[in-house]
Amino acid sequence: MKHWTEGFDDDDADEPLVRPYTITGGRTTPERDDLTLITLVTVISEAPADNGPGMRRLQPEHRTILALCKQPLAVAEIASALNLPVSVTKILIGDLIEAGHVRSRPPLAFAQAGGLPGMSILEAVRDGLRKL
Amino acid sequence: MGFASSEPGVRAPLAVKILVAGGFGVGKTTLVGAVSEVAPLRTEEYLTHASIGVDDLEGVSGKSTTTVALDFGRITINSELVLYLFGTPGQERFWFMWNDLVNGAMGAVVLVDTRRLEVSFASIDFFESRGIPFVVGVNCFHGVRDRTQEEIRRALDLDPQVPLVLCDARDRAAGRDVLLALIDHLMAAHARTAAHPVS
Ligand SMILES: Nc1nc2c(ncn2[C@@H]2O[C@H](COP(=O)(O)OP(=O)(O)OP(=O)(O)O)[C@@H](O)[C@H]2O)c(=O)[nH]1
Ligand SMILES: [Mg+2]
Repeated sequence: MKHWTEGFDDDDADEPLVRPYTITGGRTTPERDDLTLITLVTVISEAPADNGPGMRRLQPEHRTILALCKQPLAVAEIASALNLPVSVTKILIGDLIEAGHVRSRPPLAFAQAGGLPGMSILEAVRDGLRKL
Repeated sequence: MGFASSEPGVRAPLAVKILVAGGFGVGKTTLVGAVSEVAPLRTEEYLTHASIGVDDLEGVSGKSTTTVALDFGRITINSELVLYLFGTPGQERFWFMWNDLVNGAMGAVVLVDTRRLEVSFASIDFFESRGIPFVVGVNCFHGVRDRTQEEIRRALDLDPQVPLVLCDARDRAAGRDVLLALIDHLMAAHARTAAHPVS
């Protein structure tokens, strides 16, 4: 089915900066600053069905995220799949967290804390790499 | 192993990250692709967005369309742990993103090309100054070994504790071995910290 904007699509190379922000309703700054490139996003299993209440105001991109995140996916992977900049993607994910549709799992902040990953993590990564 | 989230309604593994850094054209994307279980993915960010912190549409209505692209790959370690590899260029125009890049990073591999060591200086400076553990991977383009390891170390002014590993970024096993060298390096640092806790 054709979307109403089809045919209006301007391929004006001068405009790519603005257009993605129409998806976010003009918002250019994520409300939450806790999402990182590798924060893992997962759909909450009891999230409402695709056409259930609370899903109506969602953009197609929101729905795409919900479909993608049936398996845990990193913010960077979602941005890559949507072909949207990371900052725009974070805004959309923030909406879904706010609405209770997805949960996010942040990484451990080793480097920023000046610390090292725990030995059990290092051992698991080493064992996993050896199998490559 | 206990890394998986135990929150009800969600089963998320823990994500960790290794940065693959170095100057222009040293083989970062090649290495990420060689070890990743998926073809390297690409993600973009607006340069203007993060660097000047625009907060309304007026601010972005200009002609500034610059984006920076990052390549990354993924290695599923087990059901509870996923390792992401991010190719991170050393150019200054990327530095606005480095807080996010560094967040959750276990450490870094800095790739160097012996014919152009200087293009990777900025990456080494960055990790040294932030105290982020790293190893140096010498990407042996065309099998060229025009310098000894000692010469490379001296040219890079490398701390003797920082491992230096020869590799071919196109080769999966070689790429894996560079990553393993980083893990060994982290384990050694761990052992030192455990023996002499930092106060
Ligand atoms: N012969 C040879 N070629 C290599 C090797 N590693 C990378 N290359 C080639 O060198 C070029 C640059 O490699 P990339 O992996 O794109 O380097 P990069 O660091 O990601 O480059 P930028 O992202 O542009 O900074 C590519 O054409 C690779 O195919 C190697 O070990 N041997
Ligand atoms: Mg590259």
